Amino acid sequence: MIVWENMSSQTAKAPQTRFRKRDLFYLMPLWLISLIAPDPYLYHKKEFKKKELFYLAAICFAPLIWSDSHFHHLMVLAGIYAILALGLSLFMGYAGQISLGHAAFFGIGAYTTAILTTRYAVPTFLAFWASALSAALIAHLIGRPILKLKGYFLALATLGFGEIFLVIVRESTSLTGGVIGIFGIPWFSVMGFSFDTYLKQYYLAWGMVTGLFIFSKNLVRSKVGRALLAVGASEDAASSVGINVSKTKLEIFDLGAAFAGWAGSLFACIMSTASPEAFSLGFTILIVMMVILGGMGNLYGPIAGAILLTWLMDILSKYQEYSLPVYSVILILLLIFFPDGVGTRLNVRIIYLIGYWAKKKKRDKGKL
Amino acid sequence: MALLSTEEIIKEYDGIRALDRISLKVEKGSIKGLIGPNGAGKSTLFHLISGVEKPDSGKIYFKGKEIRFLEPHERSALGIGRTFQTLQVWGNMTVVENIMAGMNRRLKGGYLSCGLRFPWIRKSENEVLKEAKEILDSLGLLGKWESLASQLPYGKQKLLELGRALAMKPELLLLDEPASGLTLAEIEQLSQHITKVRQEGVTVFIVEHHMGMVMEIADEIAVLHNGELIAEGRPEAVRMNPRVIEAYLTRRGGK
Repeated sequence: MIVWENMSSQTAKAPQTRFRKRDLFYLMPLWLISLIAPDPYLYHKKEFKKKELFYLAAICFAPLIWSDSHFHHLMVLAGIYAILALGLSLFMGYAGQISLGHAAFFGIGAYTTAILTTRYAVPTFLAFWASALSAALIAHLIGRPILKLKGYFLALATLGFGEIFLVIVRESTSLTGGVIGIFGIPWFSVMGFSFDTYLKQYYLAWGMVTGLFIFSKNLVRSKVGRALLAVGASEDAASSVGINVSKTKLEIFDLGAAFAGWAGSLFACIMSTASPEAFSLGFTILIVMMVILGGMGNLYGPIAGAILLTWLMDILSKYQEYSLPVYSVILILLLIFFPDGVGTRLNVRIIYLIGYWAKKKKRDKGKL
Repeated sequence: MALLSTEEIIKEYDGIRALDRISLKVEKGSIKGLIGPNGAGKSTLFHLISGVEKPDSGKIYFKGKEIRFLEPHERSALGIGRTFQTLQVWGNMTVVENIMAGMNRRLKGGYLSCGLRFPWIRKSENEVLKEAKEILDSLGLLGKWESLASQLPYGKQKLLELGRALAMKPELLLLDEPASGLTLAEIEQLSQHITKVRQEGVTVFIVEHHMGMVMEIADEIAVLHNGELIAEGRPEAVRMNPRVIEAYLTRRGGK
């Protein structure tokens, strides 16, 4: 993240000839990345830990370097989307299924928190857990029949579920506030500590992303992850070694919904509103785009995708009426040039980009 | 008592009888071969035994237990391992993970304990990794344990599939055309592995087109032709059986 942001600001300016102290700042990540360079599919533990430490440091220091409240807010949103995309990525990228109803679980989480905190004055921390639980419970109920379907049919069924959720939310005015939604949801707070500034929320959201990322990473590297990949690649082969295919799918669907419930609860607390517009079909497509653009079958992917798309949407929102066509063109280009996703072998890509940038700088120097 | 026995199995596809009252037995500790021309119903029989498809009528007994109504994963939990005619290695996993996934059934731990990686999970993972490497070593695949399974050459992938089936410690191993697409040297290697597996006490039931291999390693051979069992017995006897010769020399259904 550090590297990306700085590069864009650097390349925009006129080429620099003088070596400045700030340049040391680029050398540090370069050195860190050089430690972790041999990325691909190693089963070794050390390689993973070095890489993760680098990203963790980037997350910790990014808001201190850019102490800009807009950036903080943007990253809070990106963090929430990252949680959501992480859950969906387990279901899509690993178990090889597809869900176009994930926004509904996000919505269920948001509304559970909204209703519990505003109507019944439940502490946000409890509502936070209740949201995940209710989302997972509903996922379990609808997953049982729906997950028997495959491919396009599963996509359509989950799409239908998302639409049904929206209709229910819009029509049951007494419970959900109808089209207007629910306002005045309190800030997220734990034991009296309230997350009331963007900076605090940043650390809350990204702390959660980190926690859930480690959880998912452990999961993926254990028996569960192997079962998921097996089901995704070949169901017949999976059942031939004693993996219960339908149970595996259902459980990961529940877990993805629980992640979405958590994200929704956080979203409701941070935006302090919950209205049906936020959970429409467009939002579902956005999450799916995050997972696909970021890279499937890879846990860095959804997080990279979430940051990328949130950032892209924010930049493009300045261009008003042109934003949508430009946005779609960029998506198409990304899909053409990064067919495996942006987050797949992310560190190798970053090295390549830094190398390219350094060479360019050198070339410019030589010219001048 | 036989380890696996089928009684009067019938399977029809759209009125065409793929299997017609098949009754056969696989004795414990033996290698049984199943041969027959293309379309004889060999793979269908395997699908019925492993549970991918259900028979229209008839009974299947494994270890004296009727398994006709069990799901595929429940049957493999009882101890039926299998490989597939079309290669079904999980290409998106590393070689060692393929083997480790084969051991999943024996591992304990749910989502919470795996996600938080409790000490006992860590311990069992390490044990499983070690055991998987031993299996890979015996198959001669240890050199590539960290590469993706899809990057292996075809013959090695076939071996990997065998290793995965062995990893779940089956009592009965169903091999569906393990030698198809392999070179002669690889077939030789494969038959050595299969005889070694039998020495470890695993019963092997094998469908194969490659006559030389089946005749060499099998204790008993059954011959299917147009969904009927036309001969059963020792390899030498089957080889001389006039009906078998006729089935192989004449076109299917023709005279």
